[in-house]
Amino acid sequence: MNTAQLRERMQAVEARDLLRHPVVLSLLVLVALFAAGNVAAPGFASFGSLTNVLRIAAFLGVIAAGQTIVILGGGEGIDLSVGKIATFSTVIVAQVSQGQDERLLLAIVTAFAYCGLIGLGNGIGVAYLRIPPLVMTLGMVGVVTGIIRVYSGGQPEGRAPAMLSALVNGTTVGGIRGSVWIWLVVAVFTIWLLRGTTFGRRVYALGANRRAAELSGINLQRNLVLLYVASSLYAALGGMLLLGFAGAASINLADQYQLISIAAVVIGGTTLAGGVGGYLGTAVGAVVLQTMRNLLIVLDIPAAGRQVVNGIILIVLLSLYGRQRRLRQ
Amino acid sequence: MSPEQTPSTLQLVRDARSWLLRGRLPVATAVALLMVTLVANLLIAENFLTAFNIRSIFANVIPLAAVAVGQTVIVLGRGIDLSIGTIATLSSVVTVSLVEPLGLLPAMLVGLGSGAACGLVNGLLVAVVRLQPIVATFATSFVWSGLALYVLPPGTAAAPRMPDVVVQGYRNSILGVPNAAWLLLLIALSWLVLKRTALLRHVYAVGGDEQASYATGVRVVRVQIMTYVVGGTYAAFASFAMLANSGSADALAGGNLTLVSIAALVIGGTRLSGGAGGAGGTIIGVMVLQLLTSLLVALRPPTDIRQLIDGLLVIFALALAGLWSSRRGGR
Amino acid sequence: MAFLAMRGVDKRFGGVIALRDASLHAERGEVHGLLGANGSGKSTLNKILTGVVAPDRVDITIDGRPAAISGPHDAHGHGVAAVYQELSLIPDLSVTANLVLASEDARLGFLRRRADRERAAEVLGRFAAAFPGGNLPLDVPIGNLSPGEQQVVEIAKAVARRPNILVLDEATASLYSAQVEVVFEVVRELKAAGTLVIFTSHRLGEIFELCDRATVLRNGELAGEVTLADTSESELVELMVGSLARPAGRGHQVATQERAARLEVSGLATDRLRDIDLSVRAGEVVGLGGLAGQGQSELLNALFGSTRVRQGTMEVDGRPELPRHPKRAVTAGLALVPGDRTREGLLPVRPILENLTVPSLRRRSRFGVLSHEREREAARSAAEQLQIKYGSLDDGVMTLSGGNQQKVVVGKWLLTEPSVVLLDDPTKGIDVRAKQELYELITALTTDGVAVLLNSSDDDELLGLSHRILVFFEGRIVAELTGDGLTAERLVAAALQVASA
Repeated sequence: MNTAQLRERMQAVEARDLLRHPVVLSLLVLVALFAAGNVAAPGFASFGSLTNVLRIAAFLGVIAAGQTIVILGGGEGIDLSVGKIATFSTVIVAQVSQGQDERLLLAIVTAFAYCGLIGLGNGIGVAYLRIPPLVMTLGMVGVVTGIIRVYSGGQPEGRAPAMLSALVNGTTVGGIRGSVWIWLVVAVFTIWLLRGTTFGRRVYALGANRRAAELSGINLQRNLVLLYVASSLYAALGGMLLLGFAGAASINLADQYQLISIAAVVIGGTTLAGGVGGYLGTAVGAVVLQTMRNLLIVLDIPAAGRQVVNGIILIVLLSLYGRQRRLRQ
Repeated sequence: MSPEQTPSTLQLVRDARSWLLRGRLPVATAVALLMVTLVANLLIAENFLTAFNIRSIFANVIPLAAVAVGQTVIVLGRGIDLSIGTIATLSSVVTVSLVEPLGLLPAMLVGLGSGAACGLVNGLLVAVVRLQPIVATFATSFVWSGLALYVLPPGTAAAPRMPDVVVQGYRNSILGVPNAAWLLLLIALSWLVLKRTALLRHVYAVGGDEQASYATGVRVVRVQIMTYVVGGTYAAFASFAMLANSGSADALAGGNLTLVSIAALVIGGTRLSGGAGGAGGTIIGVMVLQLLTSLLVALRPPTDIRQLIDGLLVIFALALAGLWSSRRGGR
Repeated sequence: MAFLAMRGVDKRFGGVIALRDASLHAERGEVHGLLGANGSGKSTLNKILTGVVAPDRVDITIDGRPAAISGPHDAHGHGVAAVYQELSLIPDLSVTANLVLASEDARLGFLRRRADRERAAEVLGRFAAAFPGGNLPLDVPIGNLSPGEQQVVEIAKAVARRPNILVLDEATASLYSAQVEVVFEVVRELKAAGTLVIFTSHRLGEIFELCDRATVLRNGELAGEVTLADTSESELVELMVGSLARPAGRGHQVATQERAARLEVSGLATDRLRDIDLSVRAGEVVGLGGLAGQGQSELLNALFGSTRVRQGTMEVDGRPELPRHPKRAVTAGLALVPGDRTREGLLPVRPILENLTVPSLRRRSRFGVLSHEREREAARSAAEQLQIKYGSLDDGVMTLSGGNQQKVVVGKWLLTEPSVVLLDDPTKGIDVRAKQELYELITALTTDGVAVLLNSSDDDELLGLSHRILVFFEGRIVAELTGDGLTAERLVAAALQVASA
């Protein structure tokens, strides 16, 4: 084989590897969705439509950031309480601020503090009591539901302060909404957190090989607690943005993000086994999921068909790279 | 003590200790929880022992019990099914829509078949396509609930209903025992029958150690698929109870059964990572959850803190059970 | 022609020759010993017969017919059953269920429990005396049995397959003497019934008691075939070691006597270790010898805080320090290169860079923020010092060859500047060149005054690197070899607990 052939082959290999990369794959799926949408409903792939998708995807994107961190940490790590915590955050912010701008800061700090405590509870249950994460965070959903009820008396009062709504919904250059910019900041921060800090390194190390990580001197339990606290803080932030969008809180405003956040993570190429993946994929995953939802609405398929197609596309996306290893012969 | 006695006594103590420590502690915990909730109900709820109350407790518990037993089989084989509640929904709308044209029994057979078919699809996705069970069944849950909406769109005028015989029968008693309680017994018996099959033995083996089972000659893929099929069939059974309980189908009814079924099996001592536990414990777990609810109703706490107490009690029960079942988790 | 004949067996692992033209001949109704020092290739030969290891070249005939064995399944088909030290049992299932797993007696899918139980009782009944009071624990979950009892069940599971050839590879290692007797009794019955049993054990006494003939391997080649009745222990040892004992090549064995002890351990005990006393001076390499699995790894893990210590004290550089967690051990200046590279040493899905810097992140960060340049610089210097051959530091660590992977596991500890380095079989399965480079590194470490504890399954390596060797047998230190005592004969004799060689 001469050098030219060799080079050609290596390029082919690289191209194939690139196509296998989950983030690239998700982006391709995204392009395909927009293309298909544009055929079915001209104008779907317009810039305005794109910004509209991003605007809504931001909430899922922020909440799924915490989910990404927990899943990356491995050990069957998963956080089913993110949706409910985000809901709690919307209730806190609405009630504490009572719709007044000057109380917004206090409301935000309160929401982060309370939600952080819930994450702490998750973390202690998982790390020290060694309760399986799925069970621990599932149980926490019930507790937070109760807390919300106590906190709000069943009927959350107050509403989003005007400043928060303006921040989230405000239109900037090119019709891009505030929530997109906030998400961008969150995304950059999260990617930096995972790649540029010792915390991020430990998350990956724990997810890649718990035993080896411990034998390298990483404190397993303390870092596990941090994972769940981080997840709840992201959920709290996501809830705040959602409140700004919705205007008023309700006792189940963000509940739907419980499982869809996991789907965003997995579609983004982060494996549930831990240690592989990152936030960029999750962000693209969130956009894919939102685009899919918008597309199904635009196509004007009845609710029933929408759900079925939604599920089938999810399965197809998962089969592209969410597969586990075969039992070896 | 004669020398002959010593080893056997020692053996006895050792057996008792290991019985409790290894296999049975989770179930013992669940039974203790059941006792506590039962006694608390007896002491606090004045209407607890009335026939009406007992009947409605059993009537309400059957759908969850059936779904949770199905989920238990799946979890024992190291899987999980987040679509099991929507399978129950789909099967219920299929059954109720067919009662008129086909008659009750054929309709139920088709309903049963649809539950098993959904389970088969889940099983193929997990065992053959090898998708991660949590996300794969989350995805199929959209498909099942979408199909349910298609079969029986909500707000349909003159929605089909179950025959009155069924609805009445569900609330009646035979020999002074509520029919729903007989059904619970039937579910328990079905588990005992299932447990005697080679399939269930292999489910335990695969859940305990997939690699070792494979090396010993267990057909792992087939076993995994079958757990989902069995789970789907139980979900169909749950759908019949749902129909009998309310008389009509609701395309959104089954969804919340899924996560509660997981809570019930964990409280009942089934290990989430597979291979240990059983549906006997799960049924106890279901009863514990139901009794906690009824206790709360009786306690009449300020409505605001009711859910919080409920949540705390459930998480306490989960933590207690999760503690034991996670000890031997991992490998 | 022999009932079982394996001829011309070759096997290389990477650059390492495990077997070269080895052979084995054994008859029906015989218990045939398979012997050799550490690294002689006896395990590899066993695993080729049972289909677990794919040979480069082999010619197997069973009962005169050529047998192609390309996996465990084929081996079953040829009537070969094997028992290793690692168990293949399902802990939560009962003994009965394990014994009949995948061959249950079922009618219409329903288990015929009584039939299964009878079958299990029949098989296990032959081992009845191995259980307290002779009561068969048929309904007890496997996980509730003691390790020895589990091993007996594992042996029973192999016997239940009615094999023509039964391979017992260190299958008696976790058994008490009474249980060993029971197993021997069954083996003799099998032998009388015409079964060929291939038997490997680190207890030489067991070989003499049970085996008729033995095949001895040395450095992957056939060293001899003996009839045990005509052979003495010392003759056997000589056959295993070979007559040319090499002089120990330790040029750097000077003046460590005056240096201060960096690591001091006394009265250490764990579940598997008893009464461990040792001390390692700065610049000294202390070898942990003996047959594989006698507690050497356990000691290293105990010192590093990753195995629970029951009692004992430990001092690092004069400071009392008995880590309860690896993190504390790292802070105290210890480093452990674990025995199982993939499972305990590497972060398989992560890049080389992260693997190298994981234990020393704090040194290259401020307030938790990493300095990428300093991290990269550090990783590069470690990689250079170890001559790791890599394309980019961002490549996945599993893209490296085995030798280079191991260098990464060692290299990550260079960056923490440890005072005591614990090496658990650091050159297992890596090529000669990488080995040589690791040896150089160990020498360089001692020059810098680091204290090294070295466990190795390669006796030559141990003799070549260590200033002293502590020989382990069943969890205790049974001998210490120093100075002129550092010879292969002494090491093997001490490892096998033979009085003298």
